[in-house]
Amino acid sequence: MEAFRLLELLILVAVLVGFVGLLLRRNLFLKVLAMDVIGSAVVALFVLVAARSGLQSPILAAPVAAESAMATLPLADPIPQAVILTAIVIGLSIQALLLVVITRLSRVDPSLDLGSFEMGSFETRGRR
Amino acid sequence: MPPLSSESLLIGWLLLPFSAAFLAALVPPLARWLALACCLATAAVAAAIQAGALPASLHLLGPYGVVLQPDALAAPFLLLDALVCGAVVLDGWRRPMPGPFLLLLMVLHGGLASAFVAVDLISLYVTLEVVGISAFLLILITRSERCLWLALRYLLISNTVMTLYLIGAAVIYLEQGSFRLEAVATAGAAALSLLLVGLLTKAGLFLSGLWLPRTHAEAPAEVSALLSGVVVAAGIVPLLRLSVAVPTLATVLPTIGLASAGLGLLFALVEADAKRLLAWSTLSQMGLVLLVPAAGGLYALGHGLAKSALFLVARRFPGRDLAGWAGRTLPAGVLVTLWICSLSIEGVPPLLGYVAKSNLDRILPGPTGLLLSLLSVGTAAVFARLWSAPLQPSAPLPDAAAQPEPAWSPGVLLLLAALVLLGAGEAIRGWSPSLGPSAAKAALVLAAGMGLHRLLQPLRRRDWFRLPDLEAFPDLIGGIGVVGAGLLVWVR
Repeated sequence: MEAFRLLELLILVAVLVGFVGLLLRRNLFLKVLAMDVIGSAVVALFVLVAARSGLQSPILAAPVAAESAMATLPLADPIPQAVILTAIVIGLSIQALLLVVITRLSRVDPSLDLGSFEMGSFETRGRR
Repeated sequence: MPPLSSESLLIGWLLLPFSAAFLAALVPPLARWLALACCLATAAVAAAIQAGALPASLHLLGPYGVVLQPDALAAPFLLLDALVCGAVVLDGWRRPMPGPFLLLLMVLHGGLASAFVAVDLISLYVTLEVVGISAFLLILITRSERCLWLALRYLLISNTVMTLYLIGAAVIYLEQGSFRLEAVATAGAAALSLLLVGLLTKAGLFLSGLWLPRTHAEAPAEVSALLSGVVVAAGIVPLLRLSVAVPTLATVLPTIGLASAGLGLLFALVEADAKRLLAWSTLSQMGLVLLVPAAGGLYALGHGLAKSALFLVARRFPGRDLAGWAGRTLPAGVLVTLWICSLSIEGVPPLLGYVAKSNLDRILPGPTGLLLSLLSVGTAAVFARLWSAPLQPSAPLPDAAAQPEPAWSPGVLLLLAALVLLGAGEAIRGWSPSLGPSAAKAALVLAAGMGLHRLLQPLRRRDWFRLPDLEAFPDLIGGIGVVGAGLLVWVR
């Protein structure tokens, strides 16, 4: 199998694993971690898309003679890399915000089980 | 570029809310005025677009740069953004705002304004994430345990679907070599359904929007007004743009819209809680916005103004339980708002909702138009439940020290004035002899809705008269999965 297809498939599997984790895990922390798995898979996808045309960084350090080896190396696509940099920063800050909220929620239920936060459970805890 | 060209003005307007938020953090007493100034600037831009004073699209930094499109589609949404944010600022003018509320409001305002004019997939991603994060922080503003959980749920879902959206964007770049919305037109089914699932969830539509009712109902009143009035529109605008640009979506999106309208209506009819009823109605009305891209903006404007006024007065409801609604009196400021806004959503002339609905009626073909009328009857039945409360006699208060707050909040007044004036203005501008029959139709729909309400009222006491609870966290993720899988099969 072509390497590009194989890597694409692996990324797809990672996304699906993250989605299933988000659906089935009862622990809030693991849910956030599952979301991060999807996020990492997307970063890998963008890096893969950028590398499809070549691996050489598209940076011109010094004027290169047309016949030298450097000039003929295929270049990586800078656009997806630039895009994913923004997405990584956004993903990181969201992760941080979610973890802060989870720390606060651990006062309600230290085991962070989903069932203790769904509707109605706040009242029943109060009545007990 | 000359220093004061329309391009630089446009960029200055987009940057204004963010720099104002920064300034407000340094000089807190200025925050209210800065927030109002941002809203005024956005309203001015919306007016300038209507007057044709701005270029229809703006390319920044070459072929891979950002494209902004302040076009006729964006104008009503920008006006909605300005009016709703302005009303929330005015509503809380006398009260101390908790923590960084106004700062977050400005960031939200700026994020929304950029989301309405951005037309490439990555700018949309960034602006939608800005909107998502600031909405998350706004829900957190009271720091109660329940709000913590709701905010966590909101951001977790919103970020997950935006990640899926990003996968769609990557696949489109792989296929087309561009992130422009036009490139989506020839994209494959997988990329398209990933993009759609992200935007549909953001807009709170159909099964992927099941997160909406609980979040909108439990958030603080001002935040609910923002969320239901204008934040859901951040997902709607790109959907409308896609609906125009991609021919294969011309039937898919209206069908999802109708399904969403039906789903929201069904749950709103059975709901026992006043704020949740309003939230389910948002889910239903947002579906109708999606029906016709050309009429969607006006419809979203009419709905957003009315719904945010309703949520603003929901703070002063004596209780949220609808079972004892008829037994509790409401002050005039609440009851009149309730009437005007719900009549506007049902499309009674001369309010703005009527203009929006008759626009929709005119464009839609026969069977869909009939379905729309049936949905309107249901909407009338939903709001008929809120009308049964009697008016509170305006007795003089026992002591002046206990004066709670003025009967009319300036923010709500602004929204009501916009509903009436914009509606009347549009009705006069588009004056035609068909006004009589369509007014009669509105009255007929209203009467049918009241009848349906009477019919359903005795059933609500029965035990079996309820719908399954679909709002647990696994249901929400499952809903997103179902919508995504369905789109993958359906979109070709």
